Amino acid sequence: MNTDFSFAVSRRGFLAAAAGAAVSASLGPARAFAGDERQIKVAPGQARLASASSPATAVWAYNGTVPGPTLRLRQRQPVRITVENGLDEDTTVHWHGIRLPNAMDGVPGLTQKPIKPGARFVYEFTPPDAGTFWFHPHANSLVQLGRGLAGALIIEEAEPVALDRDLLWLLQDWRLSSDDQIAGGFGSAMDASMSGRVGNLVTINGMAPGDQNVSAGERVRLRLANASLARMMALRFEGHRPVVVAIDGQPCEPHEPEDGRLVLAPAMRIDIVLDMQGDPGSRHAVIDDFYDGLAYTLTTFAYDKAPPLRAHPLDAPVGLPRNPLPTPDLASAMRQEIVVQGGMMGGGKLAGVGGMMGMGMPGMSGGAAWAINGMSMTGDGHVGMAPQFMLKRGASCHLTMRNETAWWHPMHIHGFSMLVLSRNGAPVSHRQWQDTVLLAPKDVIECAFVADNPGDWMLHCHVADHQMAGLMTVFRVT
Amino acid sequence: MKLTYRLAPLAALIATPLPAVAATINAVMYKNPQCSCCESYASYLEHNGFKVEVKPVNNLSQISSDAGVPADLEGCHTLMVDGYVIDGLVPVEIVKKLLTERPAITGITLAGMPTGAPGMGGEKDGTWTIYAFTKDGKAPTVYATE
Repeated sequence: MNTDFSFAVSRRGFLAAAAGAAVSASLGPARAFAGDERQIKVAPGQARLASASSPATAVWAYNGTVPGPTLRLRQRQPVRITVENGLDEDTTVHWHGIRLPNAMDGVPGLTQKPIKPGARFVYEFTPPDAGTFWFHPHANSLVQLGRGLAGALIIEEAEPVALDRDLLWLLQDWRLSSDDQIAGGFGSAMDASMSGRVGNLVTINGMAPGDQNVSAGERVRLRLANASLARMMALRFEGHRPVVVAIDGQPCEPHEPEDGRLVLAPAMRIDIVLDMQGDPGSRHAVIDDFYDGLAYTLTTFAYDKAPPLRAHPLDAPVGLPRNPLPTPDLASAMRQEIVVQGGMMGGGKLAGVGGMMGMGMPGMSGGAAWAINGMSMTGDGHVGMAPQFMLKRGASCHLTMRNETAWWHPMHIHGFSMLVLSRNGAPVSHRQWQDTVLLAPKDVIECAFVADNPGDWMLHCHVADHQMAGLMTVFRVT
Repeated sequence: MKLTYRLAPLAALIATPLPAVAATINAVMYKNPQCSCCESYASYLEHNGFKVEVKPVNNLSQISSDAGVPADLEGCHTLMVDGYVIDGLVPVEIVKKLLTERPAITGITLAGMPTGAPGMGGEKDGTWTIYAFTKDGKAPTVYATE
């Protein structure tokens, strides 16, 4: 199906060699490249998170900003992105949700050598799908993401969509100490084995949100991306009826979410269309009430006083053009199962990795607090990770994910989008393709995808503490 | 803040002319909003003469660290009572011993979530060590074993 991959395979040897040599001048006489070229420098920086006048917080930043620059690329247009590492430690960039060649996936040890301090790596791929994606490190993920390294990656549709405005809210969650600096204690045992490092300041596009100015009658596409380490969100738009048009970058059948509540776990994206039908001058809260007893107003829509742009909402359909995803053949699909185990209150499923009931200190010193099918892969990716299962290239895979724990897990598959078939036995409608599927405690979710992209791919929980503490696995497409 | 906790039981004594039972001891529990064991522990304390105000927080490990609990001895919640920090599922007899003896420490902790501990269920296996900690950088010492 996808011709981009064959193109990329031929490049893989070259790139592997380039990554091995300290790439600086070695890329030297650049081949003629017909596509977008971008540069990203990873380095320490400063950000004012609470307000423009608040004290500066020391962060790690892409091109000096938090979040990093929004990369707007074109569907089916090649791009070459040079990443230069100005940190004192290794990094990589993972292009979250993009179906790309394995060597471009940014997992240290598994798909590339890490980018050493002072070195560069050139990522090159052709995004097959239009939609809302994002990028972040896959090395020392908990700390690097927690210090601010994240950016939006928007792949624009070949034909523009009829809307008044296209907005992005890249949501980040920071754990700050009283001196406005990023609190230490990354990887604490309690965070690792419970809900992860949830913070105390949520920002939209790098700043604690003030009002969002809107106009009566306008139609807005709002791209929501949760770049938090661990904070789940459930957004309600008071006085408005959001229509979900895409999940994880993949267009779905437009629908209103259950109870009008958008559940957005770490790494997930949801695109909604909002017809701004409030009265001129009115105000409407956007509330996040995911955690019991901890609801808060994230931001407020503040309507200007101008008369409505139009008397009635736009007639144009809100649906987005579909992406070229291969349809899995369920009849012939290979069945695989992933069982998520461990954590606090875990019922002793993890005897081999610390015995969660009656454990001492799970998750300490890089120890495991979680497992998939009895195996804990800790960290960010490394050489020699044995695949949990194999798939023949082109085969369909019917994947069941079973959460035996008492905690929530957004399970992220690299390299593919999965069609979500059912949740706890009930069919999932609206044609939802996702690269990050949220499992509530005890959930059983069935998904399917076509293994059309060869390589060793990671499948892990995107609560960064959980991933680091063992909630990760690898599968191979041969 | 600590002053408030110290005064609370005193206020309760004054306000109750004829206490039928021993005065309640007020406590505040900081816990993960998604952990249920802590609520069982709060209920256990309430059956043993405490009044527990439960406060769900998302940054429990930060609160526990700020309260002086050593990172490698964190319990699953943090309780503030009568000027002391009680971290984790410490049996009530030991909490009461602390509040009676009033040693010059910041608090005590039972790390992790041992099976059989109050609020956990299951059978106790092995000895629990409850550590005393201070905020002066000294190593934790054993306060009690159970």
